[in-house]
Amino acid sequence: MDFEQNENQTAILGGLEQLIAGLQVEAPKEGVLVAFSTRLDAELEASGFLDIAREAEFTLLDSALVVERLARLPVSAEVAFSALVGPLFPTDTVQRPFALVTANPLSPARFLTVARTLLVDKGDELLVIDVDPSQVEEVESLFAYPYGKLASLEGMAVRRMGADLATGVRRRWRLALAVEGSGLMQSAIDTVIEHVTNRYQFNRPLGSFQAIQHRLATAAGTQQSARWLALRAAWSDSEADCALAASYLQDSIPTIVYDLHQFCGAMGLTLEFPLHFWTYRLKAMLGDLGGSSAQARAAAIATWQDAA
Amino acid sequence: MPSDDLAQFRAEARSWLHANTPAHSAPLDGPDSRTFVLDWQRCMYEGGWAGLTWPSEYGGRSLSVAQQIVWFEEYARCGAPSTHNASFVGINHAGPTIIACGSVEQKAFHLPKILSGEVIWCQGFSEPGAGSDLASLRTKGRIEGDEIVIDGQKIWSSYADIGDYQELLIRTDPESTRHKGLTWLICPMDLPGITVRPIKTMAGPAKFCEVFYDQVRVPIRESVVGGIGEGWKTAMATLSFERGTASLALQISLVGKVEQLAADCIDPFVAPRLADLRADAAALKAMSYSFALSSEHGTPGAEGSLIRLYFAELAKRASDLAVDLYGIGSPELAGEHGWAFEFLDAYSETIAGGTAEIQRNIIGERVLGLPRGKA
Repeated sequence: MDFEQNENQTAILGGLEQLIAGLQVEAPKEGVLVAFSTRLDAELEASGFLDIAREAEFTLLDSALVVERLARLPVSAEVAFSALVGPLFPTDTVQRPFALVTANPLSPARFLTVARTLLVDKGDELLVIDVDPSQVEEVESLFAYPYGKLASLEGMAVRRMGADLATGVRRRWRLALAVEGSGLMQSAIDTVIEHVTNRYQFNRPLGSFQAIQHRLATAAGTQQSARWLALRAAWSDSEADCALAASYLQDSIPTIVYDLHQFCGAMGLTLEFPLHFWTYRLKAMLGDLGGSSAQARAAAIATWQDAA
Repeated sequence: MPSDDLAQFRAEARSWLHANTPAHSAPLDGPDSRTFVLDWQRCMYEGGWAGLTWPSEYGGRSLSVAQQIVWFEEYARCGAPSTHNASFVGINHAGPTIIACGSVEQKAFHLPKILSGEVIWCQGFSEPGAGSDLASLRTKGRIEGDEIVIDGQKIWSSYADIGDYQELLIRTDPESTRHKGLTWLICPMDLPGITVRPIKTMAGPAKFCEVFYDQVRVPIRESVVGGIGEGWKTAMATLSFERGTASLALQISLVGKVEQLAADCIDPFVAPRLADLRADAAALKAMSYSFALSSEHGTPGAEGSLIRLYFAELAKRASDLAVDLYGIGSPELAGEHGWAFEFLDAYSETIAGGTAEIQRNIIGERVLGLPRGKA
């Protein structure tokens, strides 16, 4: 077991920090609900950080560390699907950014307003749809990501792929949720710790109250658990690990989002405070792939099958 | 009240609401919100359906809490505009506070205006440095002859930008600390020296406001409620209403919304959560009715915090489930009063009027009688 970064990972994350610093990524000055950065998305694509898992000398775990780091930014880009799901497809057979939906290709999807490929998990097959932007309708989003849906499939190329690829995409989708979610949790917790350290009530920092300390300590434990489960899933790329990590992440979201907003009081309810950039993206993940209980069942089934 | 009479009252309420309920919901902020809310309040007043439990000499009808509950049930049933709007402070805690603590002149002047939809009220309690720790507030009032001169800042004053009056808590004794030396007063919002800055919430509307006071002069006789230096006592009455019976209509509405979720639920994965939610809603209904009926002839007690907390957390769980049940992009989530808005707005339920943590402190110390902790 090795829990330290290896040389490749240190080099990748160092390079990523340079890119982030060069872009001077900051939370939007004016309060906005949807904070998608076209510039960040383009720079990540051009710099190759989203294709790491395709390179022989790198691993899926290396790619997961990139996704986790970028999730901690106060703006979003289509990172997790490109970096973790995209490598399942041969190079140049599909174009990022990706949007993913379950069953119905006309369902609203994160990133569909910017996506070039829509992947539809239909259980026993996968639809790969080359998105015609003229068919995309923007969907009102209160959850920090850009949302869109297709008006129809008319005029779009739809490729039907087999069950194996559908299963793989579903597995990596779960991994993407787990990895991105743990990064989002970390930034949200960091923001709250800063607030309760500096905010005084009753002549003492809010963070000195045990009622807050205990729940923040639990939140920190939850985030660490989510992180290690996600990284383990990226390391093994197994059905059971990916489903378990996604289930844990989704199951944790309601409590952690509630607590983190609660500790910031009314300030945390405004668009002048950055917390929603992370908590709302977490909330958007809550129902993906049928929610936590569906992932838990998938994890159990995969584990029993593996054991058998 | 005999059940036959209540049934007759219910039939009258249902009939009137059916004929008069607006086709559209209230805008969430700004002048349009003011116009809508005042028009609807005026409509209810002229129809005899405003201030059911308020004294008849001030424009109310002196009816029973049981009748008030029936009205709220019918109000929710017909989908009338949410009572969580710009009239909330005036109807639910400024008005009741003036009834409980105001002078005869204050009651005669202000209560009919609130009921008849002439004025909007807002609250001026919290400050940037005084949220949960309300007693640390620093906005000061200097007494000069028969006037108080106000300097300072308030925050989270919902609808202050469209308000006519503010229930304002300030420190009038400069030597005092904590709960002493405070004064609760009625502050007209059009006075020179008042500046209002709306703050946009993550749910969309810009209804929260910061209010700045620069040498604002108010007359003592007309403005002070409960006496100079007695503001904490008056504020506790205000908060008792806010935490006690103010949310009764919202609680009844929430119970109805949970039942609608149950009717719409075809998702077997959501069903177990919904079953829990229905049980919680039934419990809330029983608790809130019992508490409202027991508070019929006085200021609500600390037990109101139990219900306030229960309601707030249930409202959050209900909207959380609704988002999962209907899904992003569904018509149920869309719009100014859709479930997505409710989900985001519900975050304020466990913060406004005393955070969930403060409510738990009140329950621990004043309901359960536990020893006070060191602040």
